[in-house]
Amino acid sequence: MATYSREEEDEEIGQEDAWTVISSFFEEKGLARQQLDSFNEFIQHAMQEIVVDEMSSFELEPEQQHVPGEEGEGGEKKTYKISFKQIYLSKPMVTEADGMTSTLFPKEARLRNLTYSAPLYVDMEKTVTTVTLDSQKTEEVEKINKVFIGKVPIMLRSEYCSLHDHTDKELTELGECPYDEGGYFIINGSEKVLIAQEKMSSNHVYVFKKRQPSKYMWVAECRSSPESGARAASACVARMLHSPGTKMEPGCIRVTLPYIRTDIPLFVVFRALGFVADKDILEHIVYDFNDHDAMELLRPSIEEALPIQSKKVALDYIGKRGSAVGVSREKRIKYAQDILQKELLPHVGVDEECETRKAYYLGYIVHRLLLCALGRRNEDDRDHFGNKRMDLAGPLIAILFRQLFRKLTKDVRLYCQRCVDSGKEIQLTLAVKAKTITSGLKYSLATGNWGAQGAQDIRAGVSQVLNRLSFSSTLSHLRRLNSPIGREGKLAKPRQLHNSHWGMVCPAETPEGQACGLVKNLSLMALVSVGSPSSPVLEFLEEWTMENLEEISPSVISHATKIFVNGVWVGVHRDPADLVRTLRELRRKVDITTEVGIVHDIRLQELRLYTDYGRCIRPLFIVEDQRMKIKKRNIEMLQEKDITGFTWNDLVSSGCIEYVDTEEEETTMISMTIEDLVQARLLANNETSVQHMYTHCEIHPSMILGICGSIIPFPDHNQSPRNTYQSAMGKQAMGMYVTNFQLRMDTLAYVLFYPQKPLVTTRAMEHLHFRELPAGVNVVVGIMCYTGYNQEDSVIMNQSSIDRGLFRSIFYRSFKDEEKKQGSLTKEDLECPSPETTLGMRHGTYGKLDKDGLICPGTRVSGEDIIIGKTSPLPDDDPSAASNRFTKRDCSTGMKNSETGIIDQVLLTTNDQGLRFVKIRVRSCRTPQVGDKFSSRHGQKGTIGMTYTQEDMPFTCEGVVPDIIVNPHAIPSRMTIGQLVECLMGKVAAMMGKEGDATPFTPVTVENISDMLHQCGYQKRGNEVMYNGHTGRKLEAKIFLGPTYYQRLKHMVDDKIHSRGRGPVQILTRQPMEGRSRDGGLRFGEMERDCIISHGAAAFLKERLMDQSDAYRVHVCQTCGLIAVANLKNQTFECCKNPSERMKVVQVLLPYACKLLFQELMSMAVAPRLVT
Amino acid sequence: MGKRKSSKPPPKKVAPKIDTMFTCPFCNHDKAVIAKMDHLTEKGLVLCTICGQKFTSEITHLSEPIDVYSEWIDACEEANM
Repeated sequence: MATYSREEEDEEIGQEDAWTVISSFFEEKGLARQQLDSFNEFIQHAMQEIVVDEMSSFELEPEQQHVPGEEGEGGEKKTYKISFKQIYLSKPMVTEADGMTSTLFPKEARLRNLTYSAPLYVDMEKTVTTVTLDSQKTEEVEKINKVFIGKVPIMLRSEYCSLHDHTDKELTELGECPYDEGGYFIINGSEKVLIAQEKMSSNHVYVFKKRQPSKYMWVAECRSSPESGARAASACVARMLHSPGTKMEPGCIRVTLPYIRTDIPLFVVFRALGFVADKDILEHIVYDFNDHDAMELLRPSIEEALPIQSKKVALDYIGKRGSAVGVSREKRIKYAQDILQKELLPHVGVDEECETRKAYYLGYIVHRLLLCALGRRNEDDRDHFGNKRMDLAGPLIAILFRQLFRKLTKDVRLYCQRCVDSGKEIQLTLAVKAKTITSGLKYSLATGNWGAQGAQDIRAGVSQVLNRLSFSSTLSHLRRLNSPIGREGKLAKPRQLHNSHWGMVCPAETPEGQACGLVKNLSLMALVSVGSPSSPVLEFLEEWTMENLEEISPSVISHATKIFVNGVWVGVHRDPADLVRTLRELRRKVDITTEVGIVHDIRLQELRLYTDYGRCIRPLFIVEDQRMKIKKRNIEMLQEKDITGFTWNDLVSSGCIEYVDTEEEETTMISMTIEDLVQARLLANNETSVQHMYTHCEIHPSMILGICGSIIPFPDHNQSPRNTYQSAMGKQAMGMYVTNFQLRMDTLAYVLFYPQKPLVTTRAMEHLHFRELPAGVNVVVGIMCYTGYNQEDSVIMNQSSIDRGLFRSIFYRSFKDEEKKQGSLTKEDLECPSPETTLGMRHGTYGKLDKDGLICPGTRVSGEDIIIGKTSPLPDDDPSAASNRFTKRDCSTGMKNSETGIIDQVLLTTNDQGLRFVKIRVRSCRTPQVGDKFSSRHGQKGTIGMTYTQEDMPFTCEGVVPDIIVNPHAIPSRMTIGQLVECLMGKVAAMMGKEGDATPFTPVTVENISDMLHQCGYQKRGNEVMYNGHTGRKLEAKIFLGPTYYQRLKHMVDDKIHSRGRGPVQILTRQPMEGRSRDGGLRFGEMERDCIISHGAAAFLKERLMDQSDAYRVHVCQTCGLIAVANLKNQTFECCKNPSERMKVVQVLLPYACKLLFQELMSMAVAPRLVT
Repeated sequence: MGKRKSSKPPPKKVAPKIDTMFTCPFCNHDKAVIAKMDHLTEKGLVLCTICGQKFTSEITHLSEPIDVYSEWIDACEEANM
């Protein structure tokens, strides 16, 4: 720290300085930091830990084999030990079909449908121990270095990505978009995001009240999973029953133990843990014997366990209720002991000496239960965000990698055992099947089914195709959270916005409908902890005079504060305030990791420390003595970072800013703005008023919003659902989705011709690069009725503006095809199929194909034109080939039948198997027309209802003509005042040639803006006198007119327009096909049918539905009433096997669907007889 | 219009209940031993429905059939020592 202290330099910072801090945050972190951090953690630590895990090394002994002719046992005994050591990960690589290996860059992976993955190698060690007959031990160690064990998909822009540490210029040269944040994978050419999965935090005691008809009054549960996290969580639940015969009186407490089939009385469990005397047990639960209410509450539990008064008996009691029935007493006791040691609360410990700590923990669970039962505390909140953990890409892949690596070691073991048994040399390179990991990871990332193929409890939809509609939709997708609760659940609670979501989850951005509130989005400055080992924290605690749990007498507890580290009760401390202060200081000095959570719960007398992964954290200014630790001088250093090298991380390490997680946030006092702090200081001199002692200060309250919420100007002036609607719509807006769109071959892509940066912006948009990659245009919007062609959310658009290029956009669609191998010899061929030799050619034009079977760039295509010609050879002995002239079958790709366009680019390359692979991009230009969809940034969407040329549009005295006219009825009920303020500010901004600042929660008022507009020489409120374009008459009303940012949405009439008279039908039912893409029919459904009936036009109905569309003639045998076999040429009919009877056949007209139904019924042995 | 039956989710795993019928230590019949618990006189009786072998023991209010049965097993082992 600088020793000099100039007044100015120690000055408090202002709001503008806070924005400098925010800029430095985003400069350092970007917007996909949680993804990158979590993946880097996996690569750097988790993967190695999984590989060297004791589960993965194994020992082998040759099993006794009887070899005929060989006598007896050999003289020596050999054991083989195989273990995995150091891992090595290379940069992403591609291996071509010819065996050539080269570095892979994402662009190539995307274009050639490759997987962006890096090979993983591991050092293996084989130890052969030979024990000869005279028990001479020899050991032989063989090291095999760098055995290839599989390919791991690499997250883009992570530390192992080929793009890591490249400058923007280099990135552009590599064909990447410099604004792209990475954070996703490329699997078979498609970009995949891993959606963060929300879960309840484990190792945490939850107490819930049970609603009536339940057997229990209260339950306290703890899902325990040890830090290494290799095993499934095991639950321990303490339940308080009703006193027998009553509904309200508390009864005894029982405990559910893992693998034990009934609940065990609480005191029995304690006795089994070695605490026999009632007093010893009570000490572990109540801590303070003067607490008579709590003691009284335990009376029924004590009485219940009276018959069991020793450890042995208690263990036996538990053991009898386990899964082993009818075994001896010793075995039962051993079984119970094992369960208590290994399965009960494994996070406390699984060693033999843990019994004391387990007893304390169990006592604590019951203590919490009693507190609630006594009404001293409320039940826990399941939906509190502090009780949630996020599984991000790193932990998700780690789960998968662990499973696959175990499978790999199992296979290695099997192979080695076989080698050993048959006396062959073990060749480890042959034993390792690299495909297990390579294809296992690829499968889950490609399909989103998390877990091994075919396994139970697979989670679907974990990996999704990255949304590339607009840049903001991509960013938002990378920051999405999912709660895996059934969508059909009617419970509203998990869907609601919770207070604890403040600053972590965007309050606006969530989908509407089934997933509402279950799918969330991270706020701009929220990060997710990656987890760190708890040992450094534990060491600090030892140093700072924490009293270890084993060493204290229980009577101390009531006067001391309990210390938990990651949910494990490690000890107590008598001066918690001091300890907390030291711990905070250590964290602020980065002596312990910044993401450690320090929660001092004064009421509960607990200090909870967290180092686990998946906690949402966010940065806050540190406040001490009502003054922020950050000073003007820090800001100056930030601003001159080129010279000083001072960055965000330096701010954190110099103790100006710290990360606070949701649970810790509950123990802080955060001032909303810097002004609030100043106010608090002023009040400090005033003794009469209530004072807030702040510990932190928000960096800026607008940082509570997520990506899509930050794009909305003045969201604090809108009705909240409108912000939610805009958050959903912003993802459909066209713009520039990446800068390298010309180099990409996305299946669908929309690009706006001249996107503009908005006149009215928020400060946060700067960091979303909305200026560089915008998705909309500033248009002059008038709010008026005019001709009535803008009713019911339609808008009138200025045709002349459209002719000048307004909202013109380009639509790209890419087609893909490859030569597939069929068997080992034959493969498909890319060529122009010739009608002489090719079977099954399509209706479309093949003429546009070049000789190589591919269409040329620049060709205009439409309808069902063929753009990729491909044939597959017909098998020679195929009897279905009508004549021998056909040798091939057509497999060409045609255009979508309703689309037209121009071939933009043709890419011919090879895939990973070395087979020819082609991608063709078709472009079509879309001009706005009646029916296209547009929206402002306030959830106000509408379609074009009419276009008028400039001369027919209304105009102002200055000759300003609106580009869009929206109906005033869109405003009052929707209360999107933000749009009006945006318009007003837009007008000012346009006049002054500046950008307007529409950041929420700033002191800007409508009055300010109005005054500025007034100074520009306009009517204060933005109203203008206008003249009718048709008549030239002055309009009676003043019109609210000004520039507003509008988005063109991807829904366009040309992609939707559809009508059909006659057309293709389904083969089976002869009903019209479904869907526009198949030129399908429009359903005349039940309700439409009802409508015609109610009009009394039944005959018309029959004529339309049957005679004119679905009529069918059958011949029915009058004897049996079933359809007869008719040969109309010979006029012979066959039915009823009795030939003597003269056939009586009638002709019946019925709908084909009816005939089909009868036949299907007959196939199920139901005879529908037509009585005629 | 009848809706097509949607595929049912897999049935929930039921927590295993504690046994009340056991294998007889004498005739080795499965689920042949039943228990009669008399909490008033604090006597529990297990008896094999196949071979008629029986065993009585003292019980408490916490006892369940498995306790009496386990005691029988222990007694058998004692006798076989």
